[in-house]
Amino acid sequence: MTYDLATIIPELFLVVAATVLLMLGVFRGQQSTQLVLGLSVVAVVVTLALVWLAPAERAAAFGGLYVHDGFAGFMKGLILTAAALCLVMSWRYIERENMARFEFPVLMLYATVGMLMMVSANDLISLYVGLELQNLSLYVIAAFRRDAIRSTESGLKYFILSSLSSGLLLYGASMVYGFAGTTSFGDLAAIFAQAQAAGETPSVGLVVGVVFVIAGLAFKVSAVPFHMWTPDVYEGAPTAVTAFFSTAPKTAAIALFVRVMMGPFGDLTAQWQQVLVAISILSMVLGAFAAINQRNIKRMMAYSSIGHVGYALIGLASGTEAGIRGLAVYMAIYLFMNIGTFAVILCMRQKDRMVEQIDDLRGLSRTHPMMALAMGIFMFSMAGIPPLAGFFGKIYVFLAAVEAELYTLAVIGVLSSVVAAFYYLRIVKLMYFDEPAEAFDTPFGREMSLVMGATGLITLLFFVFPNPIVDGAEAAAAALLAG
Amino acid sequence: MMLPAVISGFALGAVAPWVVRAVGARAHWLLAVLPAVLFVYFAGFLPGVAEGQVYRFATEWVPGLGVTLSFYVDGLALLFALLISGIGTFIVIYTGGYLHGHEQIGRFYVYLLSFMASMLGVVLADNAITLFVFWELTSLTSFLLIGFNHEESRSRRAAVQALIVTGGGGLALLAGLLLMGAVGGTLEISELMTQPEVLHGSPLYTAMVILVLAGAFSKSAQFPLHFWLPNAMEAPTPVSAYLHSSTMVKAGVYLVARMSPGLGGSELWFYALVIFGAVTMLTGALLALRQTDLKLVLAYTTVAGLGTLVMLIGLSAPLGYKAAAVFLITHALYKGCLFMSAGAVDHETGTRNPLELGGLRGAMPITFAAAALAGLSMSGIVPFIGFIGKEVMYEATLHLGPVGGVVLTIATIAGNALTIVAAGVVVLRPFFGERRKTPKHPHEAPVELYLGPCVLAGLGLLAGIAYPLTQDSLTAPMMGSMAGTMPDHRAAELYLWHGLKLPLFLSLLTLGLGIAGYVYWDRIRESLAATLRAIGWGPDLGYDQVIAGVEWLSFRQVRVQQTGYLRHYLIVTFTVFAAFVVWTLMTVGGGPSAFEMPAVRLTEWVALGLMVMGAGAATLVYSRIAAIAAIGVVGYAVALIFVMFSAPDLAFTQFMVETLTVVILVLVLMRVPLEVRAFRGLGARIRDAVISIAVGVVFTLVLMGVVQGDLDLRLSEYFAETSVPVAHGHNIVNVILVDFRALDTLGEIFVVTVAGLSTFALVRLALFKRKGGAGEGGGA
Repeated sequence: MTYDLATIIPELFLVVAATVLLMLGVFRGQQSTQLVLGLSVVAVVVTLALVWLAPAERAAAFGGLYVHDGFAGFMKGLILTAAALCLVMSWRYIERENMARFEFPVLMLYATVGMLMMVSANDLISLYVGLELQNLSLYVIAAFRRDAIRSTESGLKYFILSSLSSGLLLYGASMVYGFAGTTSFGDLAAIFAQAQAAGETPSVGLVVGVVFVIAGLAFKVSAVPFHMWTPDVYEGAPTAVTAFFSTAPKTAAIALFVRVMMGPFGDLTAQWQQVLVAISILSMVLGAFAAINQRNIKRMMAYSSIGHVGYALIGLASGTEAGIRGLAVYMAIYLFMNIGTFAVILCMRQKDRMVEQIDDLRGLSRTHPMMALAMGIFMFSMAGIPPLAGFFGKIYVFLAAVEAELYTLAVIGVLSSVVAAFYYLRIVKLMYFDEPAEAFDTPFGREMSLVMGATGLITLLFFVFPNPIVDGAEAAAAALLAG
Repeated sequence: MMLPAVISGFALGAVAPWVVRAVGARAHWLLAVLPAVLFVYFAGFLPGVAEGQVYRFATEWVPGLGVTLSFYVDGLALLFALLISGIGTFIVIYTGGYLHGHEQIGRFYVYLLSFMASMLGVVLADNAITLFVFWELTSLTSFLLIGFNHEESRSRRAAVQALIVTGGGGLALLAGLLLMGAVGGTLEISELMTQPEVLHGSPLYTAMVILVLAGAFSKSAQFPLHFWLPNAMEAPTPVSAYLHSSTMVKAGVYLVARMSPGLGGSELWFYALVIFGAVTMLTGALLALRQTDLKLVLAYTTVAGLGTLVMLIGLSAPLGYKAAAVFLITHALYKGCLFMSAGAVDHETGTRNPLELGGLRGAMPITFAAAALAGLSMSGIVPFIGFIGKEVMYEATLHLGPVGGVVLTIATIAGNALTIVAAGVVVLRPFFGERRKTPKHPHEAPVELYLGPCVLAGLGLLAGIAYPLTQDSLTAPMMGSMAGTMPDHRAAELYLWHGLKLPLFLSLLTLGLGIAGYVYWDRIRESLAATLRAIGWGPDLGYDQVIAGVEWLSFRQVRVQQTGYLRHYLIVTFTVFAAFVVWTLMTVGGGPSAFEMPAVRLTEWVALGLMVMGAGAATLVYSRIAAIAAIGVVGYAVALIFVMFSAPDLAFTQFMVETLTVVILVLVLMRVPLEVRAFRGLGARIRDAVISIAVGVVFTLVLMGVVQGDLDLRLSEYFAETSVPVAHGHNIVNVILVDFRALDTLGEIFVVTVAGLSTFALVRLALFKRKGGAGEGGGA
């Protein structure tokens, strides 16, 4: 038992920290919000350090319900980084937007604990528990601005559609259990491998169960055709929350998706590969086409995130170690450029109110040149223009797809990025070529400049120092497939 | 050594604004040192390359992908590198004179030097990914250069257009390169080019060629993608001169030449290049005559020149390669010179309209001399390199055989004759004839503006006279790169005097046609203009229509799939889901094998009836409360079924949950209007009914299929066998709850307790608020 607890030290620390901070908030009242927020950042950073220090080799805990390996370590690192940056970015935001309540950071922490559990889940039951812990916290923070109708609407939509998908997933999980007699990933993998070796096709119930699980997970990563909630929720939720939604939970859901597909269902590749190829193509194409006409930048980012998920899923669809490595690199790069973009969006305030129209960025290069430069880097990177980081993310997954002989997928991926480039570049054109709109309120706050600068530099200089991220991703992919 | 040479442009570009600030108006002389040094450095490779040697430089880059920063110097790469660095030197100097005193000149040097470095990267890269990276960097930096005067909306449009066309084409190229890499097993182009049989034999060959050519054609402005190039004339003249003579648009030609040994040789390759090249040549040359702007005339002749080059490479024969190599040099030299002198004329007179210009030879003698030499080379007069170019061109087209050869030769004659007319327009018009009144009073341009034209025009003459040197050090090695092997001396041989043979007569014919065309230029121009007006549509307009079409498509599809209504999202989710399951059943081959009606007892019928009634009622009633109650009935009926199948604990839980759900829902819904209007029309109701029934049917099929399979009974058997001996209990369910899974039960009790406590807290809070207490929520 002690050994089990040692495996989950980071999660344990975070959940205890969150609870302590909750108590702090309860007893000290709302004036403690900034304190709680600051300590939350510290808690996340300490958790990150604990994840970092954890032994790299695979360790299972609680009778195999829970596993920590290189893959989990890498993904947890990303999730915690995203959580920390989003907490930092909401520092001023929650104050300005009248939502400075101590519950906000605490809920983010609980959601993060859920994500860490998702990444480490090694059983359908622990998967579901982690997922729901995350979801329940996210429902609340999506609707955190109770006085804003858009925020409550987005919270409600998210709640209903997400519960539906959780229901599907649970239903699928129960079918899998019914037909395989186990919920453990390891046992499931063994059963399928055995069936594969014997040349048997798995029973209908099992395959349908797997399809249900895929549908549920596709919803969580907001892949087409289960993406409809994303634009509405991203637009309606408070911007700091949207930044969080588009990074940490997305990474966790993708990691979970990967673990489920490559672990227990790894020998059913023939059954799910076509589904994933279809989902991936649809996401890339729809993400690209739908974003073109958006006027609201948060909505545009929602479609952009749908497209990016499509690209990341190319890696999963390949079903190879190179594919998983590509996916891990892609998610890491996506995370930095997305957080950077949201840092810019969070600075879009005029006359003490948030503005969200893309046109509000007009002439940014003259009103705020450094911010325009950062945004330009993020947009070019998202468009996949070399030598920025986003290009390498794409190259890794495209090459993996080509190696796996998924030529159509790779070619459609490349071509849909032409369409996607169109709307990213339009923002660059607006910022650099058009007459300035009204300047944004200053100062943005030092923490915003810091986030923008750091993510901008990472995006810009990835091509000089690709090794930290790529080596990590490589180790993560190897660990996943070894386990 | 190669890597620093390639990226030094970026480094110098990064500090250029500070150089300008420190050195002032003479910064261009200092900045031009870098391209000049690079030129000398590349020239050092000439002796080796002339002997057929190649040089390869590689540095490890992106880990795990086989992406190396590798560079490759052979005849093709070296010729391009020399043109880029050599002409680049004069462009930098020219910029200093042309944009003299411009407050943003520092920014301009940043873009220009970065562009030069990117271009060097393209032509020297060996690794396909490295090539692509630099390829897109040229798109990006040229976007910045074209949009340099971003106050003007035309500049902005041209810049975005160029970026979309060439950047988009670049992505197609990437797809093509990835396919080539997958088939050839390496990403090094030099290695790929040694295995044409592997590439040709692959089923992906057609896709590769189409994608690679899409990239090359978009960059090299082949018809019908040629529209972005003339629009890019919005850029300051140094940019136009550089982009058109030796860089950017030539990158596509470079690519086609580079891929020629590996991808060339098929019918697809031949016809694609020859047809697109020839059409582009004629389109460009014709449209050039329609223009009344020196830069636009030159831009369209560039389109024609690019078409010619693509066509010649496409011939895939030594003669074609020779003609392409000679014409490449010819074109770079005269086009660079003429653009710069047109810019000088514009700079001095304030207009670029040839109709408003005349008699400048007296006022601008040096510029005139340079332009005249370049014009002679362009028209293919002895002893300029242009003359040799035209001779070998005719030789190459004639060699093609009776039908194709004649057609292609006639087209080439037409193209060349039209080019001669254009040469007349840009050289004769402004400098001969009467002096006309211009917005500014012309003087000879400053040395920066005529240095480049003079050197380039002089080289055009020198390359012609010293043709053996041109052949040995430049054209023969380049032919070797395109053919895959070094040509023997005979195949590569160039002549100034070729004897009284057909090509010579064709050259004379071309010249005669060109002179006649120039005499009637005014009339030709007007009738061309009238024809184009009558057609009223062009690819430029087509570009706008495509963009508008994409936006329309985007708008429509968002309208359809993103309504904002939750119910629509649910419809999509359920439909897709049902389709998913049906698809799975069909591919896996599951589903019920037989439709047997199991024996159903009367009590079960009652429960089933209740269920159906409840579900039906829920869809029909208009009161929320009634609907909730109806769904509750379904739940109770399910619980009844549990009772009948002797699972009282499950039934009990189900009763509790149902009751609680109904009560809670009703409590919540008390706060919203209870009566709902029928907001759906008949069509929507039918659609919803169809989807619901379909989902129901699918789930039923799944369940039936599943029930017919073997259920895994190991778990039930385990508990049945062990509950008495291990746990001493006869009720298996009880034993599981209190013994086998006692900890789970404890956890459940804990959860229920916590839920009860929090409900209590919420109720208390509500009561507290109703009493008028200041809620704690307002603290912030």
